[in-house]
Amino acid sequence: MDAKTIQHVNAMPAPTWHRLHMNDTDVEIPAGLSVVHEVTTEIPAALAGAPDAFDAALAAEQVEWEKTHPEKTPEQRAEEERLRTEEEKTTYGGTAYSRYQIGADAIEEARSLARAFETGMGADAYAWMREVAGDPIVIAAPAGEPQEVAVRVAAVPDAVNVAAIDVVAAPNAEVTVVLSVDSPREGTGVTGTSLRVFAGTGARVHVVRTQTDDATFIDMDDAGLFTAENAFIDVRQTVLGGAKAYTGLAGDIRGTASRIDIDTRYLGHHEQQRDFNYTLRHHGEKTLCNITANGVLSGTSKKTYRGTIDLVRGCKGAVGQETETVLLADDGVVNQTVPVILCNEDDVVGNHGATIGHVRPEQMFYLASRGLSQEAAENMFVRAIMEQAAIDAPDEPSRDGVMRLGSHLLDNFEGFLDEEEA
Amino acid sequence: MTRDALLSVRDLSASVDEKTILHHVDLDVAPGEVHVLMGPNGAGKSTLGHVAMGDPTYTVTGGSIVFDGNDITELSTDKRSRAGLFLSFQAPVEIPGVPLSSFLRSTLDERPDMKMKNKQFRKTIKELACELNMDQAYLDRELGVGFSGGEKKKVEMLQLLLLKPKLAILDETDSGLDVDALSVVSQGMDAYRERCDGTLLIITHNTRILEHLDVDRVHVMVRGHIVAEGDASMISDIDENGFEQFIGADDASEAHE
Amino acid sequence: MPKKRTQVADIDRSMYDFRYDDSDEEKLQAGLTPDIVREISAKKDEPEWMLEHRLKSLEIYNSMPVSDWGPSIKGLDMDNIVTYVKPNTDQKSDWDNVPENIKDTFERLGIPQAERSYLAGVGAQYDSELVYHSMQDSAAKMGIVYSGIEEALHGEYADLIHEKFMTLITPRDHKFAALHGAVWSGGSFVYVPKGTKLDYPLQSYFRLNAKGAGQFEHTLIIVEDDADLHFIEGCSAPKYNVANLHAGAVELFVGKNAHLRYSTIENWSKNMYNLNTKRAIVDEGGSVEWVSGSFGSHVGYLYPMSILNGRKARCSFTGITFAGQGQNLDTGCKVVMNAPETSTSIETKSISKSGGVSTFRSSVVATPKAEGSAASVSCQSLMLDDKSRSDTIPAMDIRCKNVDVGHEATIGRIGDDKVFYLMSRGIPEEAARTMIVNGFADPVSKELPLEYAVEMNNLIKLEMEGAIG
Repeated sequence: MDAKTIQHVNAMPAPTWHRLHMNDTDVEIPAGLSVVHEVTTEIPAALAGAPDAFDAALAAEQVEWEKTHPEKTPEQRAEEERLRTEEEKTTYGGTAYSRYQIGADAIEEARSLARAFETGMGADAYAWMREVAGDPIVIAAPAGEPQEVAVRVAAVPDAVNVAAIDVVAAPNAEVTVVLSVDSPREGTGVTGTSLRVFAGTGARVHVVRTQTDDATFIDMDDAGLFTAENAFIDVRQTVLGGAKAYTGLAGDIRGTASRIDIDTRYLGHHEQQRDFNYTLRHHGEKTLCNITANGVLSGTSKKTYRGTIDLVRGCKGAVGQETETVLLADDGVVNQTVPVILCNEDDVVGNHGATIGHVRPEQMFYLASRGLSQEAAENMFVRAIMEQAAIDAPDEPSRDGVMRLGSHLLDNFEGFLDEEEA
Repeated sequence: MTRDALLSVRDLSASVDEKTILHHVDLDVAPGEVHVLMGPNGAGKSTLGHVAMGDPTYTVTGGSIVFDGNDITELSTDKRSRAGLFLSFQAPVEIPGVPLSSFLRSTLDERPDMKMKNKQFRKTIKELACELNMDQAYLDRELGVGFSGGEKKKVEMLQLLLLKPKLAILDETDSGLDVDALSVVSQGMDAYRERCDGTLLIITHNTRILEHLDVDRVHVMVRGHIVAEGDASMISDIDENGFEQFIGADDASEAHE
Repeated sequence: MPKKRTQVADIDRSMYDFRYDDSDEEKLQAGLTPDIVREISAKKDEPEWMLEHRLKSLEIYNSMPVSDWGPSIKGLDMDNIVTYVKPNTDQKSDWDNVPENIKDTFERLGIPQAERSYLAGVGAQYDSELVYHSMQDSAAKMGIVYSGIEEALHGEYADLIHEKFMTLITPRDHKFAALHGAVWSGGSFVYVPKGTKLDYPLQSYFRLNAKGAGQFEHTLIIVEDDADLHFIEGCSAPKYNVANLHAGAVELFVGKNAHLRYSTIENWSKNMYNLNTKRAIVDEGGSVEWVSGSFGSHVGYLYPMSILNGRKARCSFTGITFAGQGQNLDTGCKVVMNAPETSTSIETKSISKSGGVSTFRSSVVATPKAEGSAASVSCQSLMLDDKSRSDTIPAMDIRCKNVDVGHEATIGRIGDDKVFYLMSRGIPEEAARTMIVNGFADPVSKELPLEYAVEMNNLIKLEMEGAIG
């Protein structure tokens, strides 16, 4: 395969000054990689879905959605047109919307769930990943007992190894999707998962992705989520390794009272790069989202975090929250954060908070009183991210990945969860 | 007495934001002894504990602190800790993202003589948790986050027993309010005394915490001054008569300045 | 069921909308060519370096793209903008000598009255030129200079101006900074010598009267070490049915342990494209305080920038933006912390109503030199109906570990509980909502001089009238 640059990856929907170099990023795929599919799955036979399950689910939902969201009547349109013309006369040509604002309105006007659906890394990255991944793994979870499935991607030296996964949760189904990405063999290459999740009415989908690549690999984590009425999707992403790790997630919180929660933990060290883009769009009434990102940066690592909560007109009663905490453990780090709230609805609540910095003085005194120097405290935070990931790992293979990477990175890491036989 | 003292505070004054909190404090604690620092609310008792531990919030404006034969007045907090001084906090801080076990491991890693293998470490802290009736699940939870008052005390006592300091200053100003916390602290103190022949300086204004202890010496602090010292009999005296009896003494000492 | 509200009436802006015939003013032809730039320069009899600067800036202007992230400026056709409009008067230092129609304009805006009551000096610009400039003798005796910048280019501080002019805001900064560099005209120069503290503010007022014109004034303020200044800037224009453009530049140099407060109430008419650039550089121990109210304009791009370049330099930004029908106001601020122990405090409020769009945009950068610095950013947005838009786009770039950056933003509407509470005490709904919005704006209005705070409250009241069904 030739070298390839995928441009405008992880682009935030409403850009800001280009000079800050935060609006998006480019992904460079090195030359000479082959395309492989070394993916193992643990999926009960009953959960295997038809190839077009995701698109079919979205198309069916379109019909349902139109029932509760009828098109504007000709009278309404005429009235809107009249107001618009009037406004143009009185306000010097009408409101001078930005390119983003015009585009966002056009998508809403189109009234197409399929067109509005997006993934966090953007269309170009999505197309490339789907192409190299080949046929998607389709999981169709029926209602009933909670189900668990796992998809594991192992980094292959000199290769691109990407899995495409579509998850369709039937009404009231509950399914846990474990994604583990690890590099058991040394080498360079690309790992990735391209995930689409459709959560039907009242469905619950839990996604847990743990990435423990060595620092010679590039990882791409692209996801797009959709929630129907009362559906709930929570995603936990743990980004521990990779020379460059790209995480893009977009969610269409469409159904009334549906919800998406994101919990991200990451570690950047040495010269690693972390690039995150979250875009959660509240379409439905009383929808909720909660984004929590916690990370530690050491060495000369660089991180860019874009988090957008979009409160789209019509999402009455929606509440969007975003909290980002970053601990900077070394002077060489670069931390870029853009927590965006877009809003054109009044009956909503949007909050975001970011805390960036070093260990707080009262925390540092406590740690010092137990014998930790500043350097030891910084090391503890790096170690803690790894140990927490091991403690919280969703299953043994994910935990094994954390232990494998942790043992490479830290002294005396192996076996910290083990106990002596009683 | 100074030569034998494990901790020797001499003529110590300290301030915060230019306001003096401690005035010319003298206090000696000999190895193996149990001392109690008492006094009304806001007397500066907790401040003395924090200044002894080197809290950068406070500025030492005069005097010295000698611990185990070395002047530690200028020493950084972590070095004081590794020299064998321990201060329990009324409420340990919350440090999100750091599991309790990771934190405990780091405290041991900094002490060459206490380094242990992972398995042994895990076993040790589980045993201590068990001894203190602490749910082992707490070892994997983020430090301080969502802990109850009793659990926070258990975390402090667990560290006391893990680090085995030469001198433990237990700031228990608020412990009297919580029955659970009280019993945790009593249990921790007993184990520490028994196992390490530990030396204690207990900061309190509530005497219930002292019920099962053989107290060697009592110091009373009022408005930043040590106004009285005596043996264990002072405790029952304070229990009956309160701190009012010392207020005059405080005025007198101020008059000397 | 959504609550029913009546349509919001167009805002009564008549107090700013009076205007005079501009036919007797001297105008250059519309559009932008090197000849026009030469002509402006020739009229001003300015040094050669300035003409070169103008021509270079024009080249840069022609080579730079329009921003693709902000409000559309499609409606701004530069070929139709008159860049230079000279009023039919020279600059005066006595209002009685100012032509009647211009004097009347400023009388109605309350400028001479304010001068008499609480200002140490006033400058008034009408279209492209200053028509009035005056400062109290006491301030002059302290060595403070407050004059037209073009006049100052020929005076004692000519070399100093040459040294500083457009070094903070270079023509390469963005397209409209380049435009400013090419066609700038008018504006003030302020010099506050070392250790001098002025107790009363200086004020410049900018009035754009001519239809289809641009105003490009340049303000250059130097506050030397240990000095202190409060500078107030006001702007307004009558409304026309063609675009007007404001692309001024403000460059502030704050010395060691010096302090500068820069207050602005911007109330341009709603056919104005306000593409203004403001920037301060602050030396060791110095501080700059920005107080900014944005009410007018069709399109606004306004982000005062502070460069904290010396140890313990500080900046604060307190701003409010009120976007009503037909307005797209993109406002905020930028900070670069480029020295140890600097501190930044940003507090902004924005209100969107009747389809108006308000965007808070900021950038806070801590360079590797910013050891021990701290920044706090707080922005609150209020949506007064479901037709409007309010976006918050704060960027942070931190490259130093021992810094402490806190950011919080909230967006929402007036709580029904608050309105209900006030109404339960007998206050009508409209008054209750106005009261709540005024309270929301209070952190900004309390930072303004009293007269401006009153003006701002009146503006809010005007904007709120008829907002309730």
